[in-house]
Amino acid sequence: MIEDELLKWKFKAGGKEALQRIYEKYRDYLLTLAMALVNDAGLAEDIVHDVFVTFAQSSGTFKLRGSLKSYLATCAVNRCRDQIRARKRQPLSLDEDAPIQSDFNPPDRRMIFDEQSRQVADAMAQLPYEQREVIALHLNAAMKLRHIAGLQNVSVSTIKGRYRYGLQKLRLSLNGRL
Amino acid sequence: MKPADKIENIVKKMSFKAGPEMDKDLWAETSKAQNEFRKTLAPSQHNIGRIIMKSPLIKIAIAAVVIIACVIGLSLWRTTGSGIALADVLARVENVKAFRYKWILKIYGDEAAGKPVNVEMRAAVLESQEHGSKSSVEVLDPNGGVRTSTEVYRLPQKKAIIRITPKQKKYEREEIDDAIAEQWQKQNNMDTGALVKKIMKCKYESLGRSIVDGVESEGFRTTDPNYKRGGGFKNLQVDVKMWVDVKTQLPVRYEEVTSADFDRNGNRMNQQFVIYGYQWDVPVDASAFAPVIPDDYTLVTAPKKPAPTEENAIKGLKLYADLSGHYPKHANWTSEYQWSLFEKSETSAAKRLQEDIKGLTEEEKANKLRDALLPLHGIGIFYASLVRNAKEPAYYGETVTPKDADKVLMRWKVSDNEYRIIFGDMHAETVTAEKLTELEKLISKFTP
Repeated sequence: MIEDELLKWKFKAGGKEALQRIYEKYRDYLLTLAMALVNDAGLAEDIVHDVFVTFAQSSGTFKLRGSLKSYLATCAVNRCRDQIRARKRQPLSLDEDAPIQSDFNPPDRRMIFDEQSRQVADAMAQLPYEQREVIALHLNAAMKLRHIAGLQNVSVSTIKGRYRYGLQKLRLSLNGRL
Repeated sequence: MKPADKIENIVKKMSFKAGPEMDKDLWAETSKAQNEFRKTLAPSQHNIGRIIMKSPLIKIAIAAVVIIACVIGLSLWRTTGSGIALADVLARVENVKAFRYKWILKIYGDEAAGKPVNVEMRAAVLESQEHGSKSSVEVLDPNGGVRTSTEVYRLPQKKAIIRITPKQKKYEREEIDDAIAEQWQKQNNMDTGALVKKIMKCKYESLGRSIVDGVESEGFRTTDPNYKRGGGFKNLQVDVKMWVDVKTQLPVRYEEVTSADFDRNGNRMNQQFVIYGYQWDVPVDASAFAPVIPDDYTLVTAPKKPAPTEENAIKGLKLYADLSGHYPKHANWTSEYQWSLFEKSETSAAKRLQEDIKGLTEEEKANKLRDALLPLHGIGIFYASLVRNAKEPAYYGETVTPKDADKVLMRWKVSDNEYRIIFGDMHAETVTAEKLTELEKLISKFTP
């Protein structure tokens, strides 16, 4: 926490080292979150790229009261939502509930992951987006359910329901595979 | 371990890491973005920064300030790092019993419905939690002066909206039911508390302090497209700023600039909306909300707008198609419901209406057309309700025609795996998501 406050201050002052430290600290965290939400290696990379590039462009004017980690996660989630929305506008992938085809196996191993992570991401992709987002933000981004309720603009009890149903479906989906 | 715990741990362990190539590319782009951004800063800022940072003493002093700030003032930073929290602003706004403000709205852009768009309106508003609102709204003439001037009273207790047009010596009383009242209030984004809430739901940043309209203020800004979430806008750009008085923590000024495509050719529609001149906690008297209507003013009975139902949407679509031979390109723009669009139409329905208004006075003609075209509003009202309720609506009026019996004209979600569809020939069906995917492959898609 103290380190992040210092990083925020240094970054606002235009510090390149601060940006690099923030990048190194949260790169894989955001990548995992994006993968949990979109289950597409190329798209997840684009999302993380956009988050950091936009963040870097705010250097000098950046001001944030809350947690840097939550801020970056929220930026990533907003971009994931944009992508999901854009996908829904594509005739071939209209339904958010429809499974998203995974796009792994990049030839140069741009992304490093184990088989279990791949299976979990595939299983999460079967969930309705809202449930997937709650689970990813709570478990992968360590965000409180109350905070997620604010992000999704619904009550905490609705978030709890989405979390519970999502986990049940995940358990069924992964049953016997892990 | 409980099964729930186990699955939670499995998800928590999920890990994706950037490989060396990805890491190299990501950092290169990130670093480049920061460098390029710094180049765009004013040279004087760079010079000052360099001069300051060249001094070892100042460096040490800054380091000391950082350490002190971090060690001693962390809690202060979290809560008041930018001085004001929007949640506090919202709480204060909600506590205000009555306030005044002014707004200006400009809508301009490329051609819509065959005409370039250039609309400018301004208003002075008095809002009261107890009594409702009173607005003096003026539509400006692009050639100068005021085209129309209307006083609008929103009276929730009386479930009515009253509009007085002095120039025409007329007044209109519209009775509203609870659902319409709620919808009307939600659509009216001029409510300041609602604007604060919308900003809070988006990713936003502090703009720091500045003197705005003569008041020391702190700014908040969002460019998050989610600000206009659900509007179905394509290539939407949003830039919203709210300035808050640092002493009272109440808004001083609100600026909203939005821009979006309104057709597949990339034609843009732009909107600038500014609220200013806030006066908070003004004393009000019930008499301020009692419309004063001179005796020589005539009452115009306002027709009741269609309720947001599928049936009314179909009625509206059918009427539009009868009048023009095709469907409206967009489901959410009321600019498509004007008589000017149909007055030269060759369809039998349009010709009938053209005949009906021949020889009528301007007033009779306006009344006749208003009643005749009223069902068209059923399209936009229904579509807006779908957007508001996150029913995932889509509309394909730009490509689907009344002859396309098997093509999806409008659709929305009715359950987890089911969608309701209005087809090109106006019949409606509920289908599965899979079926809808198949059907939507048949059309060239553009969401309005």
